[in-house]
Amino acid sequence: MSELKVGILSCSGEECLGGTISRLATRKVLEELKFVNTVTLCLPLYLAGGKEERNFAKVFPTISVDGCNKLCAKRSTEKYSGKINGSVDVSKIIGNENSLNSKIVRNKDLTEEHLQMVDEVASEIIKAISNINPNSYSGKTFRGCSCGDQ
Amino acid sequence: MDKKVKVIPCSGIGKVFGLMAREAALETVHELCPNTSETVCLAYIVTGDKEAKEKIEGCECITVDGCPKMCAAKNVSLTGGTVIEEIKVLDTVKEHKGKQFGSPTQLSADGESVVNEIATKIAKIINEKN
Repeated sequence: MSELKVGILSCSGEECLGGTISRLATRKVLEELKFVNTVTLCLPLYLAGGKEERNFAKVFPTISVDGCNKLCAKRSTEKYSGKINGSVDVSKIIGNENSLNSKIVRNKDLTEEHLQMVDEVASEIIKAISNINPNSYSGKTFRGCSCGDQ
Repeated sequence: MDKKVKVIPCSGIGKVFGLMAREAALETVHELCPNTSETVCLAYIVTGDKEAKEKIEGCECITVDGCPKMCAAKNVSLTGGTVIEEIKVLDTVKEHKGKQFGSPTQLSADGESVVNEIATKIAKIINEKN
């Protein structure tokens, strides 16, 4: 039987803190979560890439992680790739004022408080992964991405 | 039309070069050229929303890409932005062979240094326009 892998797609938005938190929380889960394998794909590859990239959410049960309530990762994934299995809205966890902060965006400007936000969002991603039905894994293979971890 | 140059990175999440693209773009718009440049979320552009399209349509854009897929350049062009320069992180990285730039999560000191070099190149392009 094929190994279960879960896809996590982050908006990584550049305009506000929520995007940075979404990216770092996604990276944290990719690097640290042990009970299930996780994979990611650069979101803009849906338009710039090909058929393989667009099959991402059809191949992997997928969780979207969005930095603000525009929910770009969720909407783009569903538009180009298929239905997702769960979503995390960072603004609901750290509040709109924090998520839309456009002054503190760079990694080097983050404080201990921001890193705690990353941990909180990572916990929510793990909760969303825990809620995925293992039978949602298609068993198909994916070979499309030169950027995302596979 | 907004006269600020849009600096739009790929923010690729799988390799350090995506983070370098992101940090170089943010260094430019926050530190080097805050009055003449700004960024727009690439993920928002990818949605194809009318409002996202209006943000960059006909505007001068500098894209910053971390891998040969050129996601930022392609998406900005497809959405109607005028790409005046396509910055490739790998072009600068090639000049620093043997250095370790960090991870997709965190840059090393060498990574930060190359990011500053790329940001300086972008700022030069913007300043020459003004």
